[in-house]
Amino acid sequence: MARDSGYGIFVTTKTELEVIEWDQGWDYMQKGFTKLKRILEGLSESQFTSEENMMLYTTIYNMCTQKPPYDYSWQLYDKYREVLDEYITSAVLPSLRNKHDEFLLLEFVKRWETHKVMVRWLSFFFNYLDRFFVCRRSLPKLREVGLTRFRDLVYRAVKANVRAAVIAIINQEREGEQIDIALLKNVVNIFVEMGMGQTDAYEEDFEAHMLQATSEYYSRRASSWILEDSCPEYISKAEECLRRERDRVSHYLHSSSEQKLIEKVQFELLVVYSGPLLEKDISGCRALLRDDQVEDLSRMYRLYNKIPRGLEPIARLFREHVIAEGITLVQQTENAANDHSSNGSGMREQIYVKEIAELHDKFMAYVSDCFMNHSLLRRAIKEAFEFICNKTVAGSSCAELLVALCDNILKTGGREKSSDEAVEETLEKVVKLLPYISDKNLFAEFYRKKLARRLLFNQSSNEDLEKSTLGKLKQQCGGQFTSKMEGMVTDLTLARENRTGFEEYLHSNPNVNPGMDLTVTVLTTGFWPSYKSFDLNLPAELVKCVEVFKGFYETKTKNRKLTWIYSLGTCNIIGKFEAKVIELVASTYQAALLLLFNCADRWSYSEIFTQLNLNHDDLVRILHSLSCAKYKILVKEPNTNTILPNDTFEFNSKFTHKMRRIKIPLPPVDETKEVIEDVDKDKRYAIDAAVVRIMKSRKALRHHELVVGCVEQLEHMFKPDIRAIKKRIEDLIARDYLERDKENLKMIRYLA
Amino acid sequence: MKKEDTVKLISAEGFEFVVHKDAAMVSQTIRNMLTSPGGFAETEHGEVTFPEISTTILEKICKYFYWNLQFASGKQTEFHIEPELTLELMMAANYLHT
Repeated sequence: MARDSGYGIFVTTKTELEVIEWDQGWDYMQKGFTKLKRILEGLSESQFTSEENMMLYTTIYNMCTQKPPYDYSWQLYDKYREVLDEYITSAVLPSLRNKHDEFLLLEFVKRWETHKVMVRWLSFFFNYLDRFFVCRRSLPKLREVGLTRFRDLVYRAVKANVRAAVIAIINQEREGEQIDIALLKNVVNIFVEMGMGQTDAYEEDFEAHMLQATSEYYSRRASSWILEDSCPEYISKAEECLRRERDRVSHYLHSSSEQKLIEKVQFELLVVYSGPLLEKDISGCRALLRDDQVEDLSRMYRLYNKIPRGLEPIARLFREHVIAEGITLVQQTENAANDHSSNGSGMREQIYVKEIAELHDKFMAYVSDCFMNHSLLRRAIKEAFEFICNKTVAGSSCAELLVALCDNILKTGGREKSSDEAVEETLEKVVKLLPYISDKNLFAEFYRKKLARRLLFNQSSNEDLEKSTLGKLKQQCGGQFTSKMEGMVTDLTLARENRTGFEEYLHSNPNVNPGMDLTVTVLTTGFWPSYKSFDLNLPAELVKCVEVFKGFYETKTKNRKLTWIYSLGTCNIIGKFEAKVIELVASTYQAALLLLFNCADRWSYSEIFTQLNLNHDDLVRILHSLSCAKYKILVKEPNTNTILPNDTFEFNSKFTHKMRRIKIPLPPVDETKEVIEDVDKDKRYAIDAAVVRIMKSRKALRHHELVVGCVEQLEHMFKPDIRAIKKRIEDLIARDYLERDKENLKMIRYLA
Repeated sequence: MKKEDTVKLISAEGFEFVVHKDAAMVSQTIRNMLTSPGGFAETEHGEVTFPEISTTILEKICKYFYWNLQFASGKQTEFHIEPELTLELMMAANYLHT
């Protein structure tokens, strides 16, 4: 805008207006300022009238728009600052000088507000400067100047005292006193505003010191609390303090402080003393777990969860506690087993399994209720139970015990007789413990053996229950785990159909009838555990039976081979004793032996041995069961309790019993060793397969990496022994599946 | 128009122009006076005196305020300025920061 030319015309058209001289103009302004000051100090009576306002504005406006040398813009700009400074030094600073604490803060806030008002007034008057002069010369705007003057003169002088006063008041509030929240909020706001857009004034001048004071305060408190209070009390107090600090931030501190403040408090209260706190004997973490203090544990979890790595000691203590409880149970069981060695030993172990399962439930409840299913604590409980479940108790591994419990539940005449729901519950518990057993294969094998026994000897009390248990196992461990067992169950169903088929066959071919009732159960080899079968020399009658069935089976399928397992068969023999006729239920071996006495009255051990073609261990067992055990069907010479190769046996015609039908028990073989051997063999195959699989895809690998890869692959089935793996690798090298690299002995190559 | 929505603009000769507040706020100077809290008498009484602006100019200025509002809301009409008034109008505009 062509001001100059405008001014020229201004002069010519408005002749009345004189140029305002500096002194004159400034004098007029000065009067206005004095009035302003009086108003601000609360001394004056009247406000500025509209006229006065405009006149002040106009004066400055004119003084700025006048032609030089009457253009007083610079002076006015300087004078503006001077006015502020003068007011500050004459009125503001003295009023702040001798005050302390709360009075200082009150005065400080008041002065700041007044200052802001003043700046506003003056900015209005001097507004014209802001529009052109300031912009032209890139000077700070009037408002900014106002703020900086306050900051430089007032704030800098009193900030230390103000800060100290504020911190003192905060500490008072911490002690429980009521304070003027609005006042503190205003003071804090001033700190923020002093930063003029950035928070550095607040942070350096106030926040840093406040945080420091907070640390000191809580450090003092914590050191006395840790001595006086129990763990739950301390933690409650800590929680309360944290909550109050958060409130404090929302009430009057700047929100950016929240994170730092909470961290400091947490550090002083929880981190510094976490060791002594948690380890407190009577009331620490262990005690809380022992006494089932759910609320306290939850609180502890909540607080320590916020601290990085804060949960580690808790997880550690938790794991230790669980292990300790588990070991106690193990000890108890061992002691009981040692005390009553043969009496109901099975019962104690069953109880052990149930107790372990209950322990597991209890602690899982803790993990989910108190510890919000945190991964660190889930891991702790997993490790603890893995440790417990892989301990041998009274000679048997946990896997065996679990299987024994299941067996007891599922078989008829088992010692576990309870309602259907209780049974289901117990089975569920057992299945839940499975993941902790590192040798799941072992469990599978034991279970299979027992299942086979139950199925074959018709001891399974409830077929549906069997199926549902298998279902549960499948869910927990995968289909592969249970595939064989399911096969076993289906086999039996098929066998039943087979039997009806066989009966029809006999019906339609009466000439092949063997002359006695014959029931054959056909099993698929792969599914069932491997049974030893000896080529027993069958008596003639039984040989015929075998032939007949073979004939029948060949009509059904041509490509299958039948292997007869005599060790599992049972036989009903009619024993014609002198006193009466008694039916004897015996195993096939026993029956074969007894039928020998149809040919001769007296047999010696060696004769029986050659005749029957059994091995010594089995023969001894069978003879013992017939001559030295409960029912003396045979008379032994000499009449001792051990079978020796020189003994002779004779049919005891004098034998009698009040029952018409008796079952001759055969002491079972301890299958445990067998099962373990089988499992080991399976493991070896599994390791071989894994190694070959890895090498086939990688072609060349370092020895160490191969071992690691192997362990990974087999992890979900069992925990492979490193030495076993190394042995298998050597074995594969010897068998030309792999070779060692000539230059680098650590490298293994795959040989196609 | 309600009393609260208006301001009184008083010229040098004492003429009073009652205009809508929104219209008056087109001028930055008037806006500052009316909006910033600080005990300006103007805010309370709702009247502003202009000892340096003549009535004719002030009248034109008021018209300009309304035209400005109209223009902003879409009606793109013309604002005619008599050439004799131009200079004084410009200076008043500068004064009022319009």
